[in-house]
Amino acid sequence: MSSPLAGAPLAGVPARARRRRGGRRGRLGWNALGLAVFALIIFPVYWMIATAFKRGSDIFADTPVWFPIHPTLSNFTDAIHRPHFWADVKNSLIIVGCVVALSLVLAFLAALALAKFRFYGRKAFIVLIIGVQMIPLNALIIPIYLVLAKANQVDKLSGVIITYLTFVLPFTVWTLRGFMIGVPRELEEAAQVDGSTRFGAFVRVLLPLIGPGLVATSIFAFIQAWNEFIMAYVLLHSPEKQTLTVWLASFTTNRGTAWGPLMAGATLTALPVVIFFVAIQRKIAFGLTAGAVRG
Amino acid sequence: MKARIIAAVALAAALSVVVSTASGGNKSASQASASKLVVWLQTDAQNGWPTAVAGATSAFKAQHPGVDVEIQYQEWTTHLQKFDASIAANDVPDVIEMGNTETSKYMAARALSALKAKNYPNSQTWLSGLKQSCTSGGHLYCVPYYAGARAVIYRKDLYRSVGVKAPPKTYAKFLAVGKKLMKKYGHNKNFSAFYEPGQNWYVAMSFVADYGGQIAVSKGGRWQGTLNTPQAIQALTVFKKMVRSFSRASKTTDEAHPYPSIPFAKGRVGSFIGNGWEWPYVFNPKGGAAPKSFAKRMGAYPMPSHIPGRYTPTFLGGSDLAIPAQSKDKQLAADWIKAFTSSNSETIIAKAGNIANTTTLVNVNKSNPALAPFAKAAKYSWFVPTAPNWVNVENANVLKNMCTAILTNRSSVAKAAGKASSQITKILNTKS
Amino acid sequence: MSSRSPAAAAPLAAPSVSRRRPLGRRLRRAAAPYALLLPAAAVIAAVLGYPLYYLVRLSFQHYGLFQLVRHKGESIGTANYAEIFHDSLFWHVVLRTIAFTFACVSLTIVLGTLVALLLTKVGPFIRLLLTAGLIFVWATPVVVAVDIWQWMVDYEFGVANWTLTALHLGDFNHHDWFANPWSGWAVIVSLIVWGAIPFVTITLYAGLTQVSRDLTEAAAIDGASPWRSFRDITLPLLKPIYVILISLSIIWDFQVFNQVWIIRNGSPSTDYYLMSIYAYVESFKISEYGLGSAIALVMVAIMLLISFVYIRQMVRIGDAE
Repeated sequence: MSSPLAGAPLAGVPARARRRRGGRRGRLGWNALGLAVFALIIFPVYWMIATAFKRGSDIFADTPVWFPIHPTLSNFTDAIHRPHFWADVKNSLIIVGCVVALSLVLAFLAALALAKFRFYGRKAFIVLIIGVQMIPLNALIIPIYLVLAKANQVDKLSGVIITYLTFVLPFTVWTLRGFMIGVPRELEEAAQVDGSTRFGAFVRVLLPLIGPGLVATSIFAFIQAWNEFIMAYVLLHSPEKQTLTVWLASFTTNRGTAWGPLMAGATLTALPVVIFFVAIQRKIAFGLTAGAVRG
Repeated sequence: MKARIIAAVALAAALSVVVSTASGGNKSASQASASKLVVWLQTDAQNGWPTAVAGATSAFKAQHPGVDVEIQYQEWTTHLQKFDASIAANDVPDVIEMGNTETSKYMAARALSALKAKNYPNSQTWLSGLKQSCTSGGHLYCVPYYAGARAVIYRKDLYRSVGVKAPPKTYAKFLAVGKKLMKKYGHNKNFSAFYEPGQNWYVAMSFVADYGGQIAVSKGGRWQGTLNTPQAIQALTVFKKMVRSFSRASKTTDEAHPYPSIPFAKGRVGSFIGNGWEWPYVFNPKGGAAPKSFAKRMGAYPMPSHIPGRYTPTFLGGSDLAIPAQSKDKQLAADWIKAFTSSNSETIIAKAGNIANTTTLVNVNKSNPALAPFAKAAKYSWFVPTAPNWVNVENANVLKNMCTAILTNRSSVAKAAGKASSQITKILNTKS
Repeated sequence: MSSRSPAAAAPLAAPSVSRRRPLGRRLRRAAAPYALLLPAAAVIAAVLGYPLYYLVRLSFQHYGLFQLVRHKGESIGTANYAEIFHDSLFWHVVLRTIAFTFACVSLTIVLGTLVALLLTKVGPFIRLLLTAGLIFVWATPVVVAVDIWQWMVDYEFGVANWTLTALHLGDFNHHDWFANPWSGWAVIVSLIVWGAIPFVTITLYAGLTQVSRDLTEAAAIDGASPWRSFRDITLPLLKPIYVILISLSIIWDFQVFNQVWIIRNGSPSTDYYLMSIYAYVESFKISEYGLGSAIALVMVAIMLLISFVYIRQMVRIGDAE
């Protein structure tokens, strides 16, 4: 009963170089619609960035100031000069770097097992990684704190890293498995004929082929780890050990939300993710393709 | 072969993480004590009176040269959640700041250590309201830190423009000013003669207190919600009428969303009830961003009572400093609290727009026209019921929801008050 | 774990080879997948194993602040569950959560599909622009996104009220979006769908580009309408992707917490309770940790129930080779 497509590469050629139907006028209409959808989707993000450049009096304006006519960098300087900004940037980068790297390695191994071996308990493991994502994180705050405190991992970046790893792994394993299944067996066998062992063949043949998959997966891990707040807040006490999202929360106090600096801080927080995207964007389209279809 | 090495390294790296997490163990407890004192303060201190914090720490260090003090700033919305987790893991801070409505639950659960009042500065003259929030079963569990009273902040120029030269001294006159303001400026749909965010329940309860009502009373060890009494219903009816005719603030948000000082700075508000620190917030470039000259047009007065010659009681909010029961060095914690609540330190805190923890410093802001009315307003005050579970009433938003229901006309005053009352009875009597 | 990593040490022969191999080799071959899974499983077990046990145990205890300080709960059997099941508010919240999840998931999938189809129609420049926009949205931290939306629908200074009034769609001056729970939920659902569309769209678009154009063009020549060719050709081909997207969306949307919590300023009225919020309030606000844990576990059970069909298919997809 399993879906015929599951795990098998899709038939057919990639859509490209095919004559389009409908002609120019149709395309113009679609483009206009695309532009409208773009404007709708991007507006909240635009509003964040625009607010970040506005003066205080333009933020709370009687009629909205659509564009920062009197642009100011004061919100950014204000945000950057908050205590521990650079330390928190560093911490976030360390945490995310480790989570992405470790999750890729661990997920690669696990996905290899799921994709290339039949063994007793495979289904159980699949159920496990789907099930793990169903547990509400909030309900686990206290027990996870307890476990990490016993292991002397509270107020340490490593404690946060391993916690994030737990929540990132299920998805990364799942996605990578999809990529691996797509690699035709003949390729591995061909490599084996050349004299490599099966595992060697896997690595030599698979790694380059699932490269895009690794990239696509790392995006997800990156965003998850970069944006998480509550575990970081609870697990990291020392101000110089906190992450950017925790730093961001300090803009909202009992004595007022500093909207301008908050939006500036938010823009700065979103920036690394966007840079990460831009850096690897060429691989995304292809990467997600493979991962998605062979899901 | 290369492949094997890669895989082996990858696996080893993965395992080392697991192993290092699993091992480690039991060093933490002994290490943490003695060399480092961990203090949790709210961000208010970080932004409002950092010099007091630094002063206390340097005074403390002169006394204990070998001890590091680490101040960890917390958020009001999440600090108790973090504290609960730290209690579960025996990993508590040595000093924690708590709101004076938060303490009772933790005192009842014996999560805080008992203290001796005479060891702390000015303990004879502590504000009785704050001291009460630190006392349970005859024992003291925290040290008063500071308090805040609320008063009406108003636009002198607007009042004058409708022929009112002095702040109203009676509730009737307060209503009269409001009517005149609405008549003259109310055509502007953004204008409020009196700006009252609907869920600012502190103001609603001030009315209840003014009419002789209470939120709940304790009879023979059982708590009874009393917002359904005739006094309370009368008070809430008066409150509803006033707010619905004078205020165009949102009825579903509280006094922090936005801070009333922001629309006030925009010139669309005749008056509002606020804390002392909201005065400077009007000028804060990230807040109201009003020009300095705006100060000349501002004034403050205690909210007049419907009983001539009195003020409407203000909520005496405040903060206390406690030492968690599991703290590893209570003596050091006590010494830091002593330094932080010294007269010197409290003077700095008071000047930042608060009321000091001791009556001996009541006149610190007397010569400051902006802050003096707040100290005056504190003469008549009310406080939440001292039931151990009180904070659960706040956390379940019973009063906020009641205010919204009343002000949006979704239910009658009597019905909303009756519902809130029975919820309060239920929560306060839950055994913890 | 021996120092010699079994994964690296096991030279694996292709299964098709019929030659008999020594027993040791076969054993190592059998052990290989377990060795490969071990690191990931170990991390998950190390961090979540005990907490899960703790959560289940807690749900059978009376565990308040008093018990928290002493690290010892009072066993009360199934009383917490009994209390939940007799609580009419709880059943309201369950129904609301299910309806909310349904609204979010269906809107996300439908709109995500439409935007993905649009991506196949527009020119390369617009496609790049749209993709970049989607990525920006995806990259915005949830906490920040909620702040922005809250700011946009602000009662006094919100750009939404101003725009709607300016467009003469009615008098939205001082319109309070959260006074009426229906319009409040509409805002929250839009916020969530907006945040979820990028992942769905980019994934579906990737899938669409692999559907052979020959097939759809052949269908068009046969006179099939675009809708029919989408329904009869594209949709079945993309079914595995949809199964996964729907399963994941159900899992994510059923647990939504931050968006509601932050947009209601950390004090939602009961009109804005979802199961996740109810569990959180009982645990951290009311300090009834036992009750909160029970609600969390019931929540997982209900999530399993409503997503059962999809999860079963997802497991099948995962189990296929």
